[in-house]
Amino acid sequence: MVPLSAYLVVAACLFSLGVIGLFLNRKNVITILMCIELMLLAVNINFVAFSHFLNDLAGQIFVFFVLTVAASEVAVGLAILVAFYRQRRSIDIEDINTLQG
Amino acid sequence: MANVTFPFPFPANMEILLPEIIIAVMAMVILLFDLFVSKEKKQISAWLAIATCIAAAITTVNVTGSESMMTFYGFFVQDYFAAFTKLLMLAATVFGIILSLDYMKEETNIGEYYALMLFALLGMMLMVSATNFITMYLGVELMALSVYVLVGYQRDVLRSSEAALKYFILGSLSSGMLLYGISFLYGTTGNFDFNLIGEALANSGDSARTATLVGMLFVLAGMAFKVSVAPFHMWTPDAYEGAPTPVTAFMSVGPKVAGFAILMRILVDAMPALEHDYVTVLLWMAVLSLAVGNIAAIAQRNIKRMMAYSTIGHVGFVLLGLIAASPEGYAAILIYMTIYLFMTMGTFAIIILMRRDGIQGELLDDFAGMSKVRPGYALAMGLMMFSLAGIPFLGGFWAKFAVIAAVIDAGHLYLGLAAIMFSAIGAFYYIRVVKYIYFDEERVAFNFSDNVLMKATVALTSIIIVVIGVYPDPVMDVCRMALAGLV
Repeated sequence: MVPLSAYLVVAACLFSLGVIGLFLNRKNVITILMCIELMLLAVNINFVAFSHFLNDLAGQIFVFFVLTVAASEVAVGLAILVAFYRQRRSIDIEDINTLQG
Repeated sequence: MANVTFPFPFPANMEILLPEIIIAVMAMVILLFDLFVSKEKKQISAWLAIATCIAAAITTVNVTGSESMMTFYGFFVQDYFAAFTKLLMLAATVFGIILSLDYMKEETNIGEYYALMLFALLGMMLMVSATNFITMYLGVELMALSVYVLVGYQRDVLRSSEAALKYFILGSLSSGMLLYGISFLYGTTGNFDFNLIGEALANSGDSARTATLVGMLFVLAGMAFKVSVAPFHMWTPDAYEGAPTPVTAFMSVGPKVAGFAILMRILVDAMPALEHDYVTVLLWMAVLSLAVGNIAAIAQRNIKRMMAYSTIGHVGFVLLGLIAASPEGYAAILIYMTIYLFMTMGTFAIIILMRRDGIQGELLDDFAGMSKVRPGYALAMGLMMFSLAGIPFLGGFWAKFAVIAAVIDAGHLYLGLAAIMFSAIGAFYYIRVVKYIYFDEERVAFNFSDNVLMKATVALTSIIIVVIGVYPDPVMDVCRMALAGLV
């Protein structure tokens, strides 16, 4: 039997990878969208693991909501990215630099 | 299939959802309406949206009783507290729509814009009525996703798209952190309901304390992002500057009210057992926000960016109310939010009026010499700036007074003194705007649009600021009464 802590460690690793990717990534915005997805899915592992070990269904129900919201979030993100690309002709992180101060 | 029975009882008290139902239905009606009308008639969507807000406000008042009512099996609550904050958010939306009338006239598919505002409003209203992390999360996301799009609504303006992109990336990060925190609170308590989590935490003693604290920290950090508390404020100046100005006005009030309302509910219902811990965290956040907001604003030349830092500073003040963790503190937050609503809307109305052929009117220099051309607007802007700075006897003074008194009463004397000090530092950059308006020579030709509704907004907000400043008792009493549902 795999203990709860193993699941939590995996989720924590994935979550940290997502956050680190978000900040260290210097290349392009699509990677950032992937990192965000990674974070949300790491949270889902947490929910399912807790739900299983607590013998309580609510956590798994929350996962459905998170998945749905994550899908719409990526849709909105890509739409904004397309609008940005049309103006800037680039999706490199370095080019997101008009607003500064 | 003839005799299908509903597998669970139909939720009782569904009528308390009526304001939300009205808004959801009308937002979709406006989306459809926009598709079928000619270009000249598209402005009707704005009036439909205003009518929707008024109808929702009336139903909110009507469905609220002196006792808190629940529906959807305890997932949604309507009480005085929720009703009061909803009225604030409805007012913010109506102001936001009025400010948009002229500003957004040139945009295509303007109906979508007003529909998105209503969806954001719906998300905020869900948030403040949430009794449960699931409802709260859905409300937060509905609000956030709508506001990302609103910020990027001017698709042919680079800085608008860029602001939306930055806001989206950091906003999604904060959602992830919020969820991660929720997952740990769920893991240690086995519940999503605020009250049940509160009971479980009170009974659990010190078992699983680390996991609980991790959960609390991540939830606080996630919410801090949404209400732009330092050190999670990085997105605020960019998003505020890039967004269309009416959206900036809307997002500097609506989401803040909703965010603080739900934070109050979480802290009061779910985390009384962790009071010592969350006060320590919030204390540092408050000091940082006060410092960043009031000091960094001095360096800004763009007034929208200045207002962004001003928001961060004000949010720092509002945090003092949470740190006090007493009914007075929570009442002070509501007072602060009410007065802040009028100050911000008045300021942004004047900023929007500054826009004229080809000039954005967002730089401090653009305000130079305004008093000689339009003494009325100059006086209103002066009042707003003095009020934001907290000069007695204007509305903003009582807002600051209430939170500082509450936090000193709660035993945080030094924090109160620090807040007063930062408030004095902040007064510099507010009063600098007044200096530009009254004592500098005119540099560019002014050409104000004469929209009656905008004038009315400026006049109304100025009068309210002065009236509250002279006679604050009624507002304070209403705010204290609104706490009945919370504590």
